[in-house]
Amino acid sequence: MAISLKESIIVGFSDFWSRKVRSLVTIMGIVLGTMSIIVVLALMKGINAQTLAWMMERGGLSKISVYENWNYDNPLNLRDYFTWRELELIRSLVPEAKYFNPQEREWVKFAYEGKEYRSAVYGVLPDFKYIEEWDADQGRFISEFDVSQSNDVVVIGTEIKNELFGSKDPIGEFITVHIRRLQVIGVMKHRFMKNSGPVGNENGLAYMNRRAFVPLSTMIHKGTGEDNIGSFVVKAQDAESAPALREKLESIILNLRQGKPVFRVESAQEEAEQMAKNQRTFQVIFFVISIISLLVGGIVIANIMLATIQERTREIGIRITVGARRIDIFIQFLVQTIVVTIIGGILGIIVGLSLLDLVSKFIDIKLIAGPEMIIIALAVSAGIGLLSGLIPAVIASKMDPVKALRYE
Amino acid sequence: MAELIKVKALKKEYKMGKITVPALNGVDITINEGEFVAIMGPSGSGKSTLMHILGCLDTPTAGFYSLENEEVSNMKKSKLAAIRNKQIGFVFQTFNLLPHMNVQKNVELPLMYGGYSKRKRSRMAKKVLSEVGLSERLKHKPSELSGGQRQRVAIARAIVNDPAIILADEPTGNLDTNSGNDILGIFSELHAQGHTIIIVTHDSYVAKRADKVINIVDGLIQEIEETQKTDATAGN
Ligand SMILES: Nc1ncnc2c1ncn2[C@@H]1O[C@H](COP(=O)(O)OP(=O)(O)OP(=O)(O)O)[C@@H](O)[C@H]1O
Ligand SMILES: [Mg+2]
Repeated sequence: MAISLKESIIVGFSDFWSRKVRSLVTIMGIVLGTMSIIVVLALMKGINAQTLAWMMERGGLSKISVYENWNYDNPLNLRDYFTWRELELIRSLVPEAKYFNPQEREWVKFAYEGKEYRSAVYGVLPDFKYIEEWDADQGRFISEFDVSQSNDVVVIGTEIKNELFGSKDPIGEFITVHIRRLQVIGVMKHRFMKNSGPVGNENGLAYMNRRAFVPLSTMIHKGTGEDNIGSFVVKAQDAESAPALREKLESIILNLRQGKPVFRVESAQEEAEQMAKNQRTFQVIFFVISIISLLVGGIVIANIMLATIQERTREIGIRITVGARRIDIFIQFLVQTIVVTIIGGILGIIVGLSLLDLVSKFIDIKLIAGPEMIIIALAVSAGIGLLSGLIPAVIASKMDPVKALRYE
Repeated sequence: MAELIKVKALKKEYKMGKITVPALNGVDITINEGEFVAIMGPSGSGKSTLMHILGCLDTPTAGFYSLENEEVSNMKKSKLAAIRNKQIGFVFQTFNLLPHMNVQKNVELPLMYGGYSKRKRSRMAKKVLSEVGLSERLKHKPSELSGGQRQRVAIARAIVNDPAIILADEPTGNLDTNSGNDILGIFSELHAQGHTIIIVTHDSYVAKRADKVINIVDGLIQEIEETQKTDATAGN
């Protein structure tokens, strides 16, 4: 009986259409609001994807790192490094770990034919290349044999290669590190990732290209001569099993140091979660700002609807005279507001989506669109329509028809 | 003839701040089915107020009103809306058409609230518009029509649902004599078809053709004249 929803929507659309200019002005706030929701959501998605990509570049989410806990002031003076034997013990206690790589870093001066370059050299095991997913692409990486023989070999990053050798092939050449001569057996693959931050090198991974790698045994036995290894990295079977392995490692290491947190055990998975959590704060703020701008748009719409109803007082009186019920008037104006905001929402989505590439170029983060954003933006704009249409619709439906008909 | 409208001791007061403005001061009227009733009286005497109450648009402050032996004050709002939709057709001095809608859509409006299908609406609207001689103007906006034509659209809208009662509040008040006479002709026609017609008018010629003339002054009925029928076809 009486007016159907479909009918109300049609009436809503024809009302919108017969007042095109005003309708467009009315929905500007909603257009801008939904547009910014789309951009913000795409930005969030872009940032998340970028964070994930960055984590992947650094060896993926199944990586677990153990290093000295700088926050612990170590009153008992417990050993804040590992010995080779300790590491062998730890390795044997976590057979489920896929890869295991202790590493020790040393700041050194590389010299070749009168040229010098200061940088870090890392003592590592062959698992390094699997854990970091980073291998030599010229020559080869350190092998088990190199480790067992403590061979005097080195694998260098592209920047060291460029500084010392230029365009010359470095494989087989000997470079001097302190007083030792090491033979170059490989050059690491060049690492690059566009840095979107406001500061720093254009290549976010440039620091990696400045590293050199030697067998850990060579460093310990021949280099520093000290059996202390500052940190190690483990790779779990997959990201899901990483937190459990991290916990196990943590308890093993606590046992080795009288239960004191001398070391920090961190899983990339958890680190990623932490980063996502930190970002979420900003995302929530952005999102709230968009919602506020939509609410402002909604208030504007409510205001215009109230004025419209004032103007259409006579029309309301006429509709009631010919048999409209209160609910019909209520639905008509509510639906009309929702139609208006949904049209605004759709325009905002279109504008927002077409802006993504432009914004991407501007801030150097790739914005990523997704169907869920369209649904969210539409739902939010319809919700705003519902909220801002409610009061005007109630006022319209409560109108006294006789007064409305006498209204000039 | 069956009693269609019965009003007893009907009062309507408007509260304006502290003062109360009486518009109707105890009105008694009985109107039978098929009657042609003229309501006359000076400006401000309460004619429109009475029409609004009879049309279920307004509620009296006190008194009794029954429509087809049913007491109106007991009816729910949705019932009143249905009555306005199906039993009563309203025609105003100022036409009261929706300016954004074309002629046909204006006439379809009561049918929309009556829940008719689109096709049925269109058919019914076209039919009544042809009866009032506006078949050629279906897609025109009210602003593109003359006053007489606009009033004919308003009449078409009032009768499209074939209501028992047609209430017309000074329907010729905004028209010149010729178009006014056309409109009055349509009302005679409708009366001849069996509709009950209640018309507010200042025109004594119209009053002469009515079955009953109600004179109102200051919200009170001065006199009710039951006129001799001069028209043989009326009041069958
Ligand atoms: N909303 C209102 N508030 C206060 N007083 C009102 C209101 N509506 C009508 N009145 C008063 O009620 C009285 C009757 O008004 P009504 O419109 O019924 O007169 P009318 O006979 O139709 O006059 P006219 O011939 O000029 O149309 C008038 O005194 C008018 O001022
Ligand atoms: Mg009047």
